[in-house]
Amino acid sequence: MANIEPITGHYVRVPYAGEDYRVFYEEAGQGVPLVCLHTAGTDTREWRHQLCDADINSDFRVIALDLPRHGKSIPPTGWWKEEYKLTAQFYSEFLMAFCQELELDNPVIMGSSMGGNICLHLARQFSSALRALIAIEACDYSPGWWLDWLWNPQVHGGEACATSVYGLMSPQSPEEYRRETWWYYSQSGPGIFKGDLYFYSVDHDFREMAENLPGDIPIYFMTGVYDFACTPEMTEKTAKKVKNSECIIMEEIGHFPMCENPVTFKKYLMPVLAKILQTS
Amino acid sequence: MAAFDTGWMERWQALVNQDSVTKIIGRHLTTDVLLAFGETAYVVSFVGGTIPKVSSDIGPESTYTFALRGPAETWAKFIQPVPPPMYNDIWAMAHPLHGRLQIEGDVKVMWQNLRAFTWTLDLMRNVQE
Repeated sequence: MANIEPITGHYVRVPYAGEDYRVFYEEAGQGVPLVCLHTAGTDTREWRHQLCDADINSDFRVIALDLPRHGKSIPPTGWWKEEYKLTAQFYSEFLMAFCQELELDNPVIMGSSMGGNICLHLARQFSSALRALIAIEACDYSPGWWLDWLWNPQVHGGEACATSVYGLMSPQSPEEYRRETWWYYSQSGPGIFKGDLYFYSVDHDFREMAENLPGDIPIYFMTGVYDFACTPEMTEKTAKKVKNSECIIMEEIGHFPMCENPVTFKKYLMPVLAKILQTS
Repeated sequence: MAAFDTGWMERWQALVNQDSVTKIIGRHLTTDVLLAFGETAYVVSFVGGTIPKVSSDIGPESTYTFALRGPAETWAKFIQPVPPPMYNDIWAMAHPLHGRLQIEGDVKVMWQNLRAFTWTLDLMRNVQE
C-alpha cells in the first residue's frame, strides 16, 4: 500500500479588486473550517503536520493557502513593474475573499508571524464572519525586519532570507524540522520575504488599536519563548489589551511552532481547538 | 583555559578547519572579521571556508571587513550547548529590539556569507573549555 497523505491540493480563482487571482490551497479533513496562514515568504508546506494530523482533521476541515506570489499562487498581472509591499488592507480583505469563494461558514483563522499579526486586523473588521482566531507569534507591533539585505542582487536572497530566520527557532526543536523550515525560506521569489515584512514591521502597527477590538470572538495568542522577533513579553503586553483573549507561552518553541516543532506545538494547540469546538 | 582566550580561539579555529560542512557551504567565505568578546578581540581571517589565521594583535594597522562586538557575558550565553532565548543567534542578539551585539563595517559581506559564517560561529558550542 502506498503511504499517501490525506492532503489534497486545489486551485481556486479568487476575484479581488479587479484581479482574478489563481490561488493554490491544500486541505484535509472535515468539520469546522480552520484556515491556516503561512509566515512571510513561505507557503502552505509549513502546515503539513497539522493537515495530516487525524486528531485535528477529524474535527476540522484544515485549509492552508498560498498567498498570491507565494508557493504555487502566481502573482497578479503586472507584478514585474512594481515593488511588492504587503499591506494589512490587501492581506485581510484577500483572506476574506478566499473564504467567501470557498463558502466557508464562520471559519477559524490560525496564522503565524505575519499570519498571526493579521488576526488583529481580521478581529477589527471581519469578526462577524469568523468563529475564532489563533494568533501565533503575534503582537501589536513587530519592528526591525523590513531590511534591504533581504532583497539585494549582491546577496543570495534564498540563503540570506533563510539564515536570517534560522535563529528564530528553538534549539530544542528537531534539527530536521528547523532545516526544513530553512529550506522553505530559501525558495521564495525575489523580494517576496522583504515585501511581506513591510506588513510585518511597518504597516502593522496596532499599538493604539488593540484596546478597541470588539471582543466578540475569542483570540488565542500563542508565542514560543525563543521568538526574538515577537517575544513572549510583547505578546503578553498585547494580549492584556485585547478583550476576550487568552495568552499561551510555549516552551522549547520559537517563531515557527507548526513546522519547527509540531509535536510540542500540538500539546499547546489541542486544548485551544477543544475550546473552540466546545463553543461552536 | 577560559573561553575566548587564545587557546580557546585556536581550538575553535581547528574545529572550523576540520569541519566538512564548512568546506561545502563556505567555499566563497573569504574575508577578515573582527570578533570582540568584551575587551578581548581577534581578527579572524577566512579563506575559502577555512581559517588560516587568527590574530590577537589588534592595533592601528589592523584591517577587517566587518566586526561583531559584544560583552563577553553575551557571547558566553551564545556558546552554551543550549543557549537561552535571545542568545542563540547573532541576529537575535543584534536585532534592534535587543541590542546585545553590535555588527559594524561592510556588513554586505556578512549577508553574502551569512549561512557559512553563522555555521562557523555555531561551532563555538563544540569547543572544549
